[in-house]
Amino acid sequence: MAESLYVHIPFCAHICGYCDFTKVIYQEEWAFSYVDRLIEQLDGLGINKPLKTVYVGGGTPTSLPSCLLKKVLAKLSTYLDKSDYEFTIEANPENLTEEKLLIMRECGVNRLSIGVESSHLKFLKLMGRGHNFEEAKEKVALAKKCGFTNITCDLIYGLPTETLEDVKQDVVALLSLDVPHLSTYCLSVNPGTSWHNQGYKEMDDEDAANQYDLILNEFRKAGYKRYEVSNFSKPGFESRHNLTYWHDEEYYAAGLGASGYLSGERFTFTKNLLAYLKGDFEGERETLSEKDLKEEFFLTNLRLEEGFSLENYKERFGSSFLSDYKEQLDKLKSDGLLVFEGDRVRCTDKGILLLDRVLLSLFK
Amino acid sequence: MPFNKKYIRNFCVIAHIDHGKSTICDRILENTGAVEKRNLSAQMLDDMELEQERGITIKLNAVTVTFKSKDGNEYVFNLIDTPGHVDFTYEVSRSLAACEGAVLVVDATQGVQAQTLANVYLAVDNDLMIIPVINKIDLPSADIPLAKKEIESKIGLSTNDVVCVSGKTGVGIDEMLEKVVELVPPPSGDSEAPLEALIFDSYYDSYRGVVVLVRVKNGRVKVGDKIRLMQSGKTYTVTEVGIRTPKELSTGVLECGEVGYLTATIKDIKDVFPGETVTLENKPAKEPLPGYRKIMPMVYCGLYPVDSQKYGDLKDALEKLTLNDASLVYEPESSKALGFGFRAGFLGLLHMDVIQERLEREYNLNLILTAPSVKYRVNLTNGDVLTIDNPSEMPEPSKISSIEEPYVLASIMTPKDYVGSIMQLCQDKRGIYQDLIYFDDTRETLKYLIPLSEIIFNFFDRLKSVSRGYASLDYTLDTFRPSDLAKMDIYLNGDPIDALSTVVYRKSAYSRGLAIVSKLKEIIPKQQFEVPLQAAINGKVIARSDIKSVRKDVLAKCYGGDISRKKKLLEKQKEGKKRMKAIGSVEVPQEAFMALLSIDEGNEK
Repeated sequence: MAESLYVHIPFCAHICGYCDFTKVIYQEEWAFSYVDRLIEQLDGLGINKPLKTVYVGGGTPTSLPSCLLKKVLAKLSTYLDKSDYEFTIEANPENLTEEKLLIMRECGVNRLSIGVESSHLKFLKLMGRGHNFEEAKEKVALAKKCGFTNITCDLIYGLPTETLEDVKQDVVALLSLDVPHLSTYCLSVNPGTSWHNQGYKEMDDEDAANQYDLILNEFRKAGYKRYEVSNFSKPGFESRHNLTYWHDEEYYAAGLGASGYLSGERFTFTKNLLAYLKGDFEGERETLSEKDLKEEFFLTNLRLEEGFSLENYKERFGSSFLSDYKEQLDKLKSDGLLVFEGDRVRCTDKGILLLDRVLLSLFK
Repeated sequence: MPFNKKYIRNFCVIAHIDHGKSTICDRILENTGAVEKRNLSAQMLDDMELEQERGITIKLNAVTVTFKSKDGNEYVFNLIDTPGHVDFTYEVSRSLAACEGAVLVVDATQGVQAQTLANVYLAVDNDLMIIPVINKIDLPSADIPLAKKEIESKIGLSTNDVVCVSGKTGVGIDEMLEKVVELVPPPSGDSEAPLEALIFDSYYDSYRGVVVLVRVKNGRVKVGDKIRLMQSGKTYTVTEVGIRTPKELSTGVLECGEVGYLTATIKDIKDVFPGETVTLENKPAKEPLPGYRKIMPMVYCGLYPVDSQKYGDLKDALEKLTLNDASLVYEPESSKALGFGFRAGFLGLLHMDVIQERLEREYNLNLILTAPSVKYRVNLTNGDVLTIDNPSEMPEPSKISSIEEPYVLASIMTPKDYVGSIMQLCQDKRGIYQDLIYFDDTRETLKYLIPLSEIIFNFFDRLKSVSRGYASLDYTLDTFRPSDLAKMDIYLNGDPIDALSTVVYRKSAYSRGLAIVSKLKEIIPKQQFEVPLQAAINGKVIARSDIKSVRKDVLAKCYGGDISRKKKLLEKQKEGKKRMKAIGSVEVPQEAFMALLSIDEGNEK
């Protein structure tokens, strides 16, 4: 039974050129009726057991006015297992206010993800972000003042024209925020985004790998542990919600374009706002075959520093990983991409960056 | 209706690609009532799926319909379709030779285009009556006065008889057909003279053997006749004669001036090349009809299945394709890099492309084509002469005294303005100037001897670009001439890849080698280790480029909604990998072997 819930708030004050999440420019009348539909949808999910993790993402959840934010968060707080839970919300520095922070605290939000993205004004501007680094820093301090201890900040690297030196400065700036969790994402230029249409190219993989390695080393030196490809934390501050995805476990979902995974079926609700506002939530559904299940198991679990346990694989699929993939494993081991340690199999540092290659050889 | 050739009109429709030839042909079929509208699958004459997709007509076809004219008489129209690409110029000229007239379609929104000219020149060569037709007049951007002006100035035709039509709405089609009645002369010829029938197309039927499409120029042919093909000298007995409406309608006889089909248990399509003359065994014509050319493959390449298990399937598919394609030849060969496959000969690159697509689509094969090559004549020091069409068969340099390559005599017809730049292009391509012939006030024909290998690589595209598309090219194989040539090998990760070897002109070897390795670097995906690419002549490296090792391919963000999408992307990539050939430990995509063709030679200088 799923113990996690993802909730999507699609509104943004403005649209970033590289973003390929489901999003629309904030409009008040949409937002009001959206929140009503969202609550109806939540009521219809049949959540009948307290949840361990709830994650509110976007879009920009903090683009909602305080009254709507409160309405959504108060509703969500009723699903929590009060004895043990993680309740995360994403926030943008530009519309994160003390009032909203206090509403979050009041509703039981105990983890805050702040989109800092860069310490360089020119890159923030290029990305279309509405803040500068000083502002981000102030908002982190404000969040701490309001009682948040579990804070994570995002960093984007691999931006057009970005140099290793630029990244180095970002790392120093990010570490100065002194938060227990950091995420760092290489820019990808996906079809359908404005940057893609404008012909922006992704950074050459060698340069991107050098930037990644710099970040990895500096974060490790500063006491953060990489637990997933792009995620770093101080001990005990791993994102429990996101680990649901990477452990390939099931979760509920609600909101425009939100994806969920229940009873062996992956689904994505409609991405059409007007349909959603009419209460027409249905989008795409995919029932997973045995082949899909295995592929997704690898695709998620191998992103983790600790990989997966052979026992877990056997429980899920009723066979032995080592014999199912005998042919492929020798090569993956000798190429230095996978290692076996006791009951566990995981990617090496080299393998984690070449995960697509690893997965392609495990896909049949 | 008693037979009277005065009521016959044999004509074709010629046009630039996309100017609406097929739509107009469909309209003709509709307006003549031969085919009911509901039976028209978009465009009837282009019946191969591939032709429909590319919008080009590759295989010729002919249809007989009747037309009731305003003059009260019923006419028999034979509409003959023509392909439109330089690879098939000869076939076009043979089908034009079966006609007395041509409807020339000009797009009202685009005016006279290069290919229009090329086809007009062919029609003029065949003494056809040309009826200009301005099409697409229903479009808002149609400019009829400009189209008329261009027909007069660029083609040199009077526009007194021009007809304005819309293939889309059908406007003007009847008027156009009346012009065909009025202006296209009825066929001449003598019904009582010895039979002379021109073969302009043929196709294979598994029950009846080869079905031959003919135009009877003199005499008549009927079932039971003993016929002789004047070029091949072979004799057959006619088993069936008829017309195509487009369904075959057996009539038992084809009279002088008529167009139709015949069968005579001909087993091999290679016995009935277009341009061949059919005559009667016991009452033969004195001479074959003029204009016959033996079709010979110009370009050769290796054809290999990506999955070596599919060799047998490829063999079966080639056997089937050659039943219908007299110009396709092949024989088995093997490659160290690619395993077992075939060396196949084609009329040109388009022909090669079409065959590849048909093999992949109709026979569901994944293929690797090696770089195309011409046939070379190698004179050995011991006095022997070798003919090779596969560069990897080139002997050791020490055993070679000289290499000869085939030259073609290229006739390039062009508006005067482009003569200078075309001459420059021909010089760049090692052409030897032969002649400049005045055609009329606006046009001239340039004649050059050019190595066939230079024609294959980009010549046509560059000719089109330097002449803004207006020049037309026809070429015939000339003689072999000695050239300063060498075999260039490509080394991948230190190993020579025979399938990538080419014969190059020594003076441009360095730049070509560099262009090839750079191109390959773009095409071959990064591997987990660094892969050097080298071009070498006689073991000496002349150019090098390294494919760096891949460092990072992982997806940065993989949360709830990303999982399905990423899985599907990876599955697609996995499918793509199946189309790559593992050479040693390097995975090479199909396109790599064709890299030579896409090299922009403009950068070589």
